Amino acid sequence: MTILEGLTHNYYYLVAIILFVIGMHTMLTHSNMIKKVIAMNIMETSVFLLFVAIGYVRGGRPPIISGSAEEIYINPLPGALILTGIVVAVSVTAYALSLIVKIYRAYGTIDSDEICKIRGDE
Amino acid sequence: MFLAEHLPVLIVIILLICAFLAPLLYRRHPRASGLMVLFSLLFSLILSAVLMLKVRQEGPFSYQMGGWPPPWGIEYMADPLRVYMLLVVIAVSLWIYLYAFRDLQHELRQQVIGWYNTLYSLLVASMAAMTMTNDLFNLFVLMEICAITSCAIITIRKERECLEAGFKYLILSAMGTGCFLLGVAMLYMVTGHLNFGFLQDELSSAIASYPLNIFTAAALFIVAFGTKAALFPLHVWLPDAHASAPSPSSAMLSGLVIKIYAFSLFIIFYRVFPRSLLDMLPLSEIVLWLAALGVMFGSIYAMLQTDLKKMLAYSSIGQIAFIFMGIGLDQRLALVGGLYHIAVHAITKAMLFMAAGVIIYTTGVRRISELAGVGRVLPLVMLAFTIGSASMIGIPGTGGLISKWYLALGALEIGRSLFVLVILLSSLLNAIYYMPIVISAFMSQEDFRYKVKKVPVIFQVVLVTGIVIVVLTGIFSRPLIILLEEAVSLFF
Repeated sequence: MTILEGLTHNYYYLVAIILFVIGMHTMLTHSNMIKKVIAMNIMETSVFLLFVAIGYVRGGRPPIISGSAEEIYINPLPGALILTGIVVAVSVTAYALSLIVKIYRAYGTIDSDEICKIRGDE
Repeated sequence: MFLAEHLPVLIVIILLICAFLAPLLYRRHPRASGLMVLFSLLFSLILSAVLMLKVRQEGPFSYQMGGWPPPWGIEYMADPLRVYMLLVVIAVSLWIYLYAFRDLQHELRQQVIGWYNTLYSLLVASMAAMTMTNDLFNLFVLMEICAITSCAIITIRKERECLEAGFKYLILSAMGTGCFLLGVAMLYMVTGHLNFGFLQDELSSAIASYPLNIFTAAALFIVAFGTKAALFPLHVWLPDAHASAPSPSSAMLSGLVIKIYAFSLFIIFYRVFPRSLLDMLPLSEIVLWLAALGVMFGSIYAMLQTDLKKMLAYSSIGQIAFIFMGIGLDQRLALVGGLYHIAVHAITKAMLFMAAGVIIYTTGVRRISELAGVGRVLPLVMLAFTIGSASMIGIPGTGGLISKWYLALGALEIGRSLFVLVILLSSLLNAIYYMPIVISAFMSQEDFRYKVKKVPVIFQVVLVTGIVIVVLTGIFSRPLIILLEEAVSLFF
């Protein structure tokens, strides 16, 4: 199977990676801090999507035993892991946003380029 | 003994409980809260020493969380190398807290000191767990705890440059953990495991069918840990963050936090990636060259600084690169050197930051050019600074020499004499920016121009301990080197 074929079959992996790159690019290049935090969330969400997609089995059911043993179940582990990941991402976001509030009070702006300028003038 | 087998998790849990009790206790008894942190660190240190004895006597053992055997449960490993790192983490953080106990009262607002205790204990707990964990996802969670707490101990100061430095650190560190988690997903995709041991077994067979996934994961891990440990081109966040933080936080961040990530990368290289991957991809080579660049540029940037703490922060970029060089050379003796440097640099850099903190507290001076003559008014503090500088340069009688010696021996053993030259040159560069401070502090003709406060007794005790330990690591290095040689021989 060529790489291209592999990608078209598993397009959801490709989507996750595109999201990851969008997030990372925005996070590193934009100077607006709120945009940085949003980008951070996009980046983390893309990894979560990838993780959950790994656990999916085509035609699978949620792994709850219902009597017949013949059924195909999806892998529940990635879902459980990502639940933890989401909690971590929420706390990082909360902390980052609270920092931005404090930065705005201290500098009067949330643009990191302008803050650089202010610090350069000091 | 029943408790002995639970030691790996007990050490972490004591610190976690302490973290949650500290702010509660602080409301009623401010002093008791600090003392509790101090005693729980001391208790953890004793337990780690017991763990070390147990590992030395009975050999490495694994601890299964909640009794669930891997691959289902989370596993903690206690082998000589990890327990060595654990001991370094706990011992150095206990020592720094002793300093923080007094220093925080003038560096922070009264009402946040209780919270500082929480953050500090959480940080130590996460680092202690990171040394022992044998599970990739657990490592991710611990890395995030470590990242948030280490940002928070910077931004807890009310000065506005701390906020900005902390935010920059948080964003880059989130990028690091994002890359790490993506790498974990790549490995989980092809193996279905998160446990280090199982991963290594599976990867050596999976590498034939899914090379791309595994190569991507390797690249992502280098970026992730490189960012967090300030490996040369990814170091941009470090100087502001480490220089603007309160002095105990600077000592903690420069002394321990960046090292724990270098150590984790080392464990992943040797415990997760199969040998065949390291032979296939020039991973060690990449790390080695980045480290060589870091050693040089860290020192060159440090020379250009006018602020004392900023200079120390830039010097950390050069020094962490020595540890990466040990990993990159991929040779037994060099690895011993790199791992020894973890302990030596943790102690030395923490001592230098604390000495700088004492100078700033007693005189209010931060600029290097204004320090002329300070050695005559603060002899003990500048003596500590001198010994620390000597260890950074690698002068005989200090720990810095031993680690550089072993790194150079390792490089020579595999015929990479170029890197011996890099090590020598960086020592010279270190001397160029550390020595003028020491010389002008003691020998300068002019007298120190600023008013000097008395140095509190506890600061003197901390600095004297530091001096003694730095000299001891330089003179009696044998037992530790033997321990590390034994530990490293398990990896080759």
